[in-house]
Amino acid sequence: MPSRSLRTGRSLGLAPVAWIAVILYGMFLLYPLVQSLFLSFTDKNPLQAGSAFVGLANYRELLSDDRLLSSLLFTMIVVVAVTVVANTVGLLLAIVLNRSSANYRVMRTLIFIPQVLSGVIVGFIWRSILTQNGLLNSALAQVGLIDEPVAWLGDSQLAVLSVCTVVSWITIAFATVVYTASLQSVPQELYEAARMDGAGVLGRFRHVTLPMIAPGTTISVVLCLITTLKLYDVVAVLTGGGPAESTQSTAFYLISVAFTDNRFGYASSIAMFLLALTAVVSYGVTTLLRRRETNL
Amino acid sequence: MKRGPALMTAATGLAGALALTGCSTSATSAGGGGGGGLTFMTFETPALTATFWDTSIAEAQKEVPDTKIKKIVSPDADRTAYAKQLQASGQFPDILSSVNPKDFSAAGLLKPFDQKWLDDNFTDPDGNAIDGKSYIPPTNSQVIPMIFYNKKIFAENGIEPPTTWDEFVDVVTTLKKAGVTPVEMAGGEPWSAAIPLSGIITADVLGADPEWIQKRYKNEVKFTDPGMTAAVGKYRQLIDAGAFDKGALSVSYADANKQFLDGESAMYPMGSWFIGQIPAAAAKDYGTFLLPSATGKPIVPFNTGGTTAVSAKSSNVADATKFAQAWSLSKANLKTLIETDGAFPMLKNVPFEEFGAKVTPVYTDGFKLVTEDNTKVSAFGQVNNDDALPPGLVEQFNSLAQKLFTSSDVKDELASFDAGWDKAAK
Amino acid sequence: MSAPTTRPVRTGRPTGSAASAGTAPSTGPGHSAPRARSRLRGRSHLIGAWLITLAFILPVYVAFVSAFKKQDQIVSNPAAPPIPFTFDNIVNALSRPDNLVQAGLLNSIMVTTATLVILVPLSSMLAFYISERSPRLRGALLAVFALGLMVPPQVVLLPIVTLLRSIGLANSYAGLILSNVGGGYLSFAVFVYVGFLRTIPREVVEAARMDGAGDLRLWWRIVFPVVRPATATVAIFLGLWVWNDFLNPQFILGPLQGQTITTGIYVSLGAYSTDYSQLFGIMFLAAVIPVVGYLVSQREFIHGLMSGASK
Repeated sequence: MPSRSLRTGRSLGLAPVAWIAVILYGMFLLYPLVQSLFLSFTDKNPLQAGSAFVGLANYRELLSDDRLLSSLLFTMIVVVAVTVVANTVGLLLAIVLNRSSANYRVMRTLIFIPQVLSGVIVGFIWRSILTQNGLLNSALAQVGLIDEPVAWLGDSQLAVLSVCTVVSWITIAFATVVYTASLQSVPQELYEAARMDGAGVLGRFRHVTLPMIAPGTTISVVLCLITTLKLYDVVAVLTGGGPAESTQSTAFYLISVAFTDNRFGYASSIAMFLLALTAVVSYGVTTLLRRRETNL
Repeated sequence: MKRGPALMTAATGLAGALALTGCSTSATSAGGGGGGGLTFMTFETPALTATFWDTSIAEAQKEVPDTKIKKIVSPDADRTAYAKQLQASGQFPDILSSVNPKDFSAAGLLKPFDQKWLDDNFTDPDGNAIDGKSYIPPTNSQVIPMIFYNKKIFAENGIEPPTTWDEFVDVVTTLKKAGVTPVEMAGGEPWSAAIPLSGIITADVLGADPEWIQKRYKNEVKFTDPGMTAAVGKYRQLIDAGAFDKGALSVSYADANKQFLDGESAMYPMGSWFIGQIPAAAAKDYGTFLLPSATGKPIVPFNTGGTTAVSAKSSNVADATKFAQAWSLSKANLKTLIETDGAFPMLKNVPFEEFGAKVTPVYTDGFKLVTEDNTKVSAFGQVNNDDALPPGLVEQFNSLAQKLFTSSDVKDELASFDAGWDKAAK
Repeated sequence: MSAPTTRPVRTGRPTGSAASAGTAPSTGPGHSAPRARSRLRGRSHLIGAWLITLAFILPVYVAFVSAFKKQDQIVSNPAAPPIPFTFDNIVNALSRPDNLVQAGLLNSIMVTTATLVILVPLSSMLAFYISERSPRLRGALLAVFALGLMVPPQVVLLPIVTLLRSIGLANSYAGLILSNVGGGYLSFAVFVYVGFLRTIPREVVEAARMDGAGDLRLWWRIVFPVVRPATATVAIFLGLWVWNDFLNPQFILGPLQGQTITTGIYVSLGAYSTDYSQLFGIMFLAAVIPVVGYLVSQREFIHGLMSGASK
């Protein structure tokens, strides 16, 4: 067949470019991953001379590292809280804003802005709001709701709540837009049909909306999980991981072990752990939600 | 043929983008660490402003006119952590201001200063010595902490500066009852959060045994020993007595300064540098005293200060050293440090009057603690000499102080601090 | 060559007066009383929606007005409009001796543009190439690229820094841009493009191939124009992410070669921790480009997102 030889000839046109991309990806993603894995079996520390192979010592240390454990606990709290809150509120907002007039278009545009700002800016804005002499405390005091300032960022538990709120705020913006897009792809005929069958508001939501937006739900939930698992810059600016490391996310702890304690080897084992965690959570949740999509 | 140009555009676009990035590399690498430039890592505080650094750099620059000094500003007061981060990403500065030298000297990253130069210029040439080598010129001394107090508030409540621990606790209780925040604490930043705890440990543990840190290095003592546990327990005692504001952990250093100077709190344990933050006009309203120790003997928590450490890996160690020496001996720089940072100078060849600095009575009182004959011990977690904590432990100590603010499990926290020490000091 | 007429994205949506999911009130024709009631309900819904939206973006509003207020105005009444109005914060931010804002903006524009100019053609060609492979190879390649979506940047940061040092690109813009291009962003772009290409009828590509067009030309003439909505999504998202990125500029670029605007803000936070007016001025200048960019391109953006989300 002449066309076959012709086709391979043509394919050459894209192959070099594709290979450049693959090589770059190999250099800046795959190789660093392997390198990280390799480092995790050493005690490399740039502030001490030499490094040695230490076998599984770093991984054994992981198991008994209280600071890692508490960072993990905090990360999990944020991941679960943010995923639930952002998707619930995001879906509700999407439903409220899913109308076609110009007003609603403007509102949908505004809602997304938190997602446009960098984590550093968001962290700062909220820090100025939540800090001891901050805008929230002075507003609450003016209204007479509080007598003395509330330590939104200074109390271990409140600080966790504050971080959850701020991260949710950013993520709601994203979820709302995804859900709006999903809602708009639901054919109106389905609602008509459901109405004919006598379904009420809740019935239509349960039997038409939810199943039809299921793919959007999957995207929103999974992206929410992945971005929250690598939570870093908001925490760095908002609380600096404090007070007393109570808002130290695992990604934040990893950076401080690597670049402040300079324990590259141990940091790499934390990195491997974080990667495994992200992989398990995102694969697990994707599979679960995909199955749900078909069952709905 | 028509389609050709379009493809060409795409290709040139790509090539152009690559060229753009290529260009910037070659352009920047010429201006960076390579040729005649040196980098100087600084940090900014309410006292040490950008202007101070710029002026002081320009002043010392005169000694090395051919070398360009590029300032790198640490994003927060914790410049040691930032210096490590720069080291890890391959950008260790040539000159570093006020870092914890022990964190770097073990890896041979810092260049010790010439002993003769130290002997010739400083009243205590070995004030910052680690294993006999000084990585930071001993230009000035500090008391960390001294307790600043608001004289008006003390008078209104009929209180005198306490001399024993029990009196101190009584003062706290009285003030608390009167509705005044007894002790200001800048708990929002780890370094300043640690000052009160550091003060108690220095007064009680190091005051009783100035060799304690050395003994800890030799594993002859532990943080879980009764003496240390009792000292840390006093910190908890203060917290339980309501000495600090409940929200202290969200108060930044700058905010704490403001609250104390606005009369919202009565006492403020802080390093002697806070003297520089008290406006001259208001200085008569403030006094200082030393934190009462367990033995009742006055203990001065002492630190030899100094700024410029030099990287041993610098492309031009000679010029970096010259710059660091010039910076450290500059009378103009020290004058500013005396006035804004409450520094007590320790230059051998310059009498105090020669600086021409305007100082307040609070400064003069503090200076007496340094010059008078009394018991000076290393301020725990604050010093740059042999009594410095192992690498990374200062950060852990600062975090411990924050943790203990909410956790009453002293024994447990100290046990994990012991474990951290053993890991870092091995 | 005829432009493809099938637009893969449904741009319009079925419009009813109120088509919200499940809550659409039935507007029976001819009955005036229910219509009035529904109009009233529509009005209150509108007011409610506005209240919720405004409450949600209140922090953005506070930041915005604070950029034009003096320190004591900000502290005493954060939510009040900027009266009297001041440009001092903006002027101060722009007249810093270290040129933090101007230099930062320029660096950010440079890094973002260079990353996009390389990444967009590269990823769309790669995606086209992948789409044309056998199902097995395609699956394998996509699996490898899926990894990039998942890997937290902190995990690969340290080896990247070491790698760049060994190839002489440590702390350089080229190093930063290359690690942007080769990292997780590439995965994201490839997935958006592959997903989008799936919706393009095979005949469009095959017809052009019959005309004897080579793959590279095919990509430029047919594929690239057709995937324009996907390009919009990729460009807007990656533009935002690269612009707002903190970790990579902080560690890979470092302070020696100048800051991007995002890391520049971080540094200025330390120096002026309580000087809100100064900081909000800098924030405003840093945020104005991405926000305006978003507002200008948001139609494209929503379309792109819809095509992604409905898949």
